[in-house]
Amino acid sequence: MITHDTIVIGGGLSGLRAAIELHDKGVDVAIISKVPPIRSHSGAAQGGINASLGMDDSWESHAYDTIKGSDYLADQDTVEILTKEAPDRVLEMEHWGTNFSRKEDGTIAQRPFGGAGFPRTCYAGDRTGHNLLHSLHEQVTKRNIKVYKEWLVTRLVIDDNRCIGAIAMNLFDSELEIFKAKATLLATGGYGRIYKRSTNALINKGHGISLAYRAGIPLQDMEFVQFHPTTLLGTNILITEGARGEGGYLYNKDHERFMKRYAENSMELAPRDIVARSIQQEIDEGRGFPEGYVELDITHIGKKLIEERLPGIRQISIDFAGVDPVEKPIPVQPGQHYSMGGVSSDKDGCTPANGLYAVGECACISVHGANRLGGNSLLDTVVFGRRAGVHAANYINTFDAPNDEILEDALESEKKNISEIMGDSEESYADIKDSLRKNMQENVGVFRERDKLEKAVVKIKELEVQARSLRVKTLSKQFNLELLNAIELKGMLDLAHTIALGALVREESRGAHYRTDHLERDDANWMKHTLAYFTPDGPRLEYKDVTITTFQPKKREY
Amino acid sequence: MITLKVKRQEEDNVWYQEYEVEDRPGMTVLEALFYAQEKLDTSLTFRYACRGAVCGSCSMLINRIPRLACKMQISEMRKEPTNEGNLEVLITNKRTEIDNNVILVEPLPNLRVIRDLVVDMEPFYSLVEDIKPWLEMKENVPEKENLMDRDTQVKIEQYTNCILCALCHGSCPVAAKDKQYYGPAALAKAWRFYLDPRENEETKQERLAIVDSESGVWGCDTVYKCVAVCPKKVAPTLAINELRNRIKDKK
Repeated sequence: MITHDTIVIGGGLSGLRAAIELHDKGVDVAIISKVPPIRSHSGAAQGGINASLGMDDSWESHAYDTIKGSDYLADQDTVEILTKEAPDRVLEMEHWGTNFSRKEDGTIAQRPFGGAGFPRTCYAGDRTGHNLLHSLHEQVTKRNIKVYKEWLVTRLVIDDNRCIGAIAMNLFDSELEIFKAKATLLATGGYGRIYKRSTNALINKGHGISLAYRAGIPLQDMEFVQFHPTTLLGTNILITEGARGEGGYLYNKDHERFMKRYAENSMELAPRDIVARSIQQEIDEGRGFPEGYVELDITHIGKKLIEERLPGIRQISIDFAGVDPVEKPIPVQPGQHYSMGGVSSDKDGCTPANGLYAVGECACISVHGANRLGGNSLLDTVVFGRRAGVHAANYINTFDAPNDEILEDALESEKKNISEIMGDSEESYADIKDSLRKNMQENVGVFRERDKLEKAVVKIKELEVQARSLRVKTLSKQFNLELLNAIELKGMLDLAHTIALGALVREESRGAHYRTDHLERDDANWMKHTLAYFTPDGPRLEYKDVTITTFQPKKREY
Repeated sequence: MITLKVKRQEEDNVWYQEYEVEDRPGMTVLEALFYAQEKLDTSLTFRYACRGAVCGSCSMLINRIPRLACKMQISEMRKEPTNEGNLEVLITNKRTEIDNNVILVEPLPNLRVIRDLVVDMEPFYSLVEDIKPWLEMKENVPEKENLMDRDTQVKIEQYTNCILCALCHGSCPVAAKDKQYYGPAALAKAWRFYLDPRENEETKQERLAIVDSESGVWGCDTVYKCVAVCPKKVAPTLAINELRNRIKDKK
């Protein structure tokens, strides 16, 4: 049994920031991560992090843009926290060594981003996530915070509505171990890989979210899935919104800047849900290129500016599409990018279970509502990562040490689960996974309708049955990929089920959830958050109110 | 079809295994490994994460050159020889006249193999940590950001671009024989912090003293292999030369 006062599951930006806060408050904290922290998907974030640093900008203006962008589903009290604390968190990252791009006067440079009324996105070239991740990891290294690298948590242990730790598997030898803790923070990121086309890292299977779900914690607003408008044709690697922020244009096959028909004022810098739908519509109606893409043109920006501000996407385009954006437009198409939904948690990351916190993409706090603005997710990680750390540092003083017996029972039960999963079967992980990803892409994508969503739910149920008989035949103890995949598959199906069912039941169009059979937003019936609870027969849905403080819902126009 | 010839290892057993992979346009070596693992042999193992050459997980030896598997296109690999039998770690490859249908995939050198293509990265991480890779700011933290001129920001950027993939470590002939040698990545990191005007002078000098040794900048053979294999154009040897000059200036 491994004991720490607190454990943080996940080593991306949210997890690292939370761990630093706990450590600095004198709390014994350890990080458990299935990949070394610097390999986390946070590092792939490109465009930037929002903060109202400018003299003419204000947190109120940032809050308004965020809430309007969310299609009024965000909780306005948590958005206030996010936007008020933004400047402090960004300046803190600068003090910790992040190499932000600079203006002439030496201050942090900011670029325009979609749905924002002011250039408020701070950036480090187009490798902002990478820079922030390494800065935070450096600070974790400085503090000598223990990191259990390449361990997969397989279960959260809950005793009388209190989380008392977790069971995790060491990937180096496939042995299970108890982690006993007074508080547990989930910071495990998103689930993009349940979609066929996703910008996400291959490791993003939503496993952490499914751990909370299986432990009885509700998942909130799972039907709100962000599709990024511009992902590279083929690999779907992200091409930052910063490319449009720096002046890039979108063209269809007739070389028409089609955004004028969808968002005549904001054009390419409308929020992501709107731009993604516009591109998809162009493609669906035959105005895209035959392989299913449109063109993102930055050639007019010039080589010098591209090298200075967008070097990463230039390299990505060359390496993965054979196109140099200095000379030619980049072929792009929408792809799954971010989860607005996640483990239901509050302004301090607290979930309904005592001692269990969720922050970052795996959580739904809810600051992004039905559609997240670019530059707000990196901000979300450091603001709420820190806040959860502060809260947990106080919380642990109010509880006695957890009960060992319950932890030991959980370990035995997990051991049994793993041993039962070993053996031969007709089923293949690859087939079930590929089928799931295809199903989500085709039936729970940018445009949704009843028939397709019903089909999706039926398919997921079939795959759940298939997955139950999947067995693992590889016996190797070290880095058993087959075992890892089999463990994570169940969670992928769980999340797909909550997304598809939530989308089926929500008969309106709001933000990223767009129903072609219910085109309007329906505030009278649907101004509410979805909560999905695990039951053996599939998710049970409940609803809760949205917190509205300052900004009354109105029609969203850009 | 393309043949992946993969060096496999489980404990003391070492063997080469061939996988016939159905390739398609745009396929990378990493995707070919997934094809093999998912469809042909589920026991095969390797590391991965981003698949977009930004996370540094999938470092391995491909046709005897340290590279990121996710970045290498199968179509390009067809145009080069596998260099099988060549015991040296190479940094560039020749072009073949006719299509080569075999790709040789082996674990990253200079680190112990755990299984198949997964190596023990801990010694590498530990060497980086030895140079105290974090910013120690001057006292009097400003209320706002530290001001920094653009030229300095750009100079630092070349080194903050490092993704700690360890390809440089795998290519380095000094790291191959001296386990104490900090290696190109750690030394480049040391220079990154030396360049940073936010860093306090005391820590700069302390770090300079750490690398002023045979395990540090004086251990480098200046063969520039690390510069050649770096997927992020970090140029560790240039950093090492700069650090040497600073140390000489001081003496």
